[in-house]
Amino acid sequence: MSALSEQEPLSAAALRVSRRWTDGKTGGTALISAATLLAILLLWVATTHWHWTSPLFLPSPSEVATQAVATALDGYANGTLLDHLLASLGRIGLALTIGIVLGVPVGLLMGLNRVARGVLSVPIDIYWGLPPLAYLPLLIIWLGIGESSKILLLSLSAFAPICFAAQAGVRSVPQERINAALSLGADTRQIFFTIILPSALPEILTGLRIAIGATLSTLVAAELIAAQSGLGYMIMSAANFLATDVVFLGLIVIAVIAFGFTVLMRFLERRLVPWKGKL
Amino acid sequence: MLSIRNASVVFDAADGSRVNALENVSFDIPPKSIVVALGASGCGKSTLLNAIAGFLPLTSGEILLDGRPVEGPGGDRGVVFQKDTLLPWATVLDNVALGLRYRGVPRAERRDHARELLALVGLQDFATKPPYELSGGMRQRVGIARALATDPKILLMDEPFGALDSLTRETMQQLLVDVWSRTGKQVFFITHSIEEALTLGTEILVMSPRPGRVIARYKADFVRDFAAAGDIGGVLNDPAFGQLRAEIRALIHHPTQTRTAA
Repeated sequence: MSALSEQEPLSAAALRVSRRWTDGKTGGTALISAATLLAILLLWVATTHWHWTSPLFLPSPSEVATQAVATALDGYANGTLLDHLLASLGRIGLALTIGIVLGVPVGLLMGLNRVARGVLSVPIDIYWGLPPLAYLPLLIIWLGIGESSKILLLSLSAFAPICFAAQAGVRSVPQERINAALSLGADTRQIFFTIILPSALPEILTGLRIAIGATLSTLVAAELIAAQSGLGYMIMSAANFLATDVVFLGLIVIAVIAFGFTVLMRFLERRLVPWKGKL
Repeated sequence: MLSIRNASVVFDAADGSRVNALENVSFDIPPKSIVVALGASGCGKSTLLNAIAGFLPLTSGEILLDGRPVEGPGGDRGVVFQKDTLLPWATVLDNVALGLRYRGVPRAERRDHARELLALVGLQDFATKPPYELSGGMRQRVGIARALATDPKILLMDEPFGALDSLTRETMQQLLVDVWSRTGKQVFFITHSIEEALTLGTEILVMSPRPGRVIARYKADFVRDFAAAGDIGGVLNDPAFGQLRAEIRALIHHPTQTRTAA
């Protein structure tokens, strides 16, 4: 009888079941991933060491490393590696900031207000459906070849996913949760700040993840076409001179940036919404 | 005292037809009573509760709380929901204190009060846990504590124990009766379990669907025996309990033989 009426915390039982379904065992994958990375590196070393391909197609790791030092110290294509890195990061940072500052409130408004949703969803849906590089020439005609056209392009890439996510976040708030707050005497302002905003936060962070991906891919593409600085510009300049080692260096740096953003987002989600998916 | 006078609610269904969710329902919930609305799904009992809570306007009729008409939701009517509606980002303690926060009660004060209420429902050791680490029964206890925090005149409970296993459910009924006899709150309770209705109600409204209306009323006082004995067993074995249960069962399954008992 006592065994039957014993109450087990729900989350522990649920977690056990879900782990059994999604994965045979508990525990991390860090070791497996590290081994895979090592294998790829070894394959790279072997390919170049025994000259399986021409260095023009695949430079050796040591060549890339040497080029990394040279680029960091002496620079390549009007700037050092750090200059290009900071130029690219600066554009991403500014675009994401604009995307968050405008996308979150506009998305929340669209989630809360039918008229705002009806009016704003039309232009956002139209431009979000277009490939960014297709309207970049138009932005250049309007704003010139300088920074502002690129920042606008990247901000548009960041804005839509964040805006959609904030809107979806508002729409997903359970009505019972709002009713519960109302019956506890909450006014409209309190409902917004204590119920709707926190309820929408997991969705907003998911939108931010998508925005980072969209902005990063748009950034490099935009720098390939129209820029005087940045990692994309560095890669394109190097490709013109068949400097494959610099191209590789640029790609590795971009991969590290992307990985860094992934780690940052995981950290933010653990810190801000540890309860995500729990209730 | 809460009074419901000729309350009717008409919905426009998706197919354009009109649904009489609630038709001409009148009853009182006097102080220190537990009024239970009993019926199958679709009988309008949840509509009735939502109207009393202020989530849903009446099409006609009125609801008076101590003589004043109910207009919209408010802290004077505490609601315990069927699905738990605790905030996952807040601790158990802060969930209980939520209503006091909305009233602008200072943090330390509202936490002290919330701690007392957690002790009342036996969860003082879980104050700092997030709600998702609690079992379903424990979460409903937090829900009851939260509803009590604003010191409402009446507790509205929408099948609060419906999703719990039967053993946990008995514990929760015990807890509710405990809280009720200690605080003397009026309670409006919804259930589809005849046994639960008889165990808890001082008055039982039997409702039937399409249109949702009250087809019979019973006074009962098994809950007082339950409260006095501190255990549900004695009540369940009471012959009068069995007799009334059979009568209500027959009424629900054969609603055509409508009768109105006092």
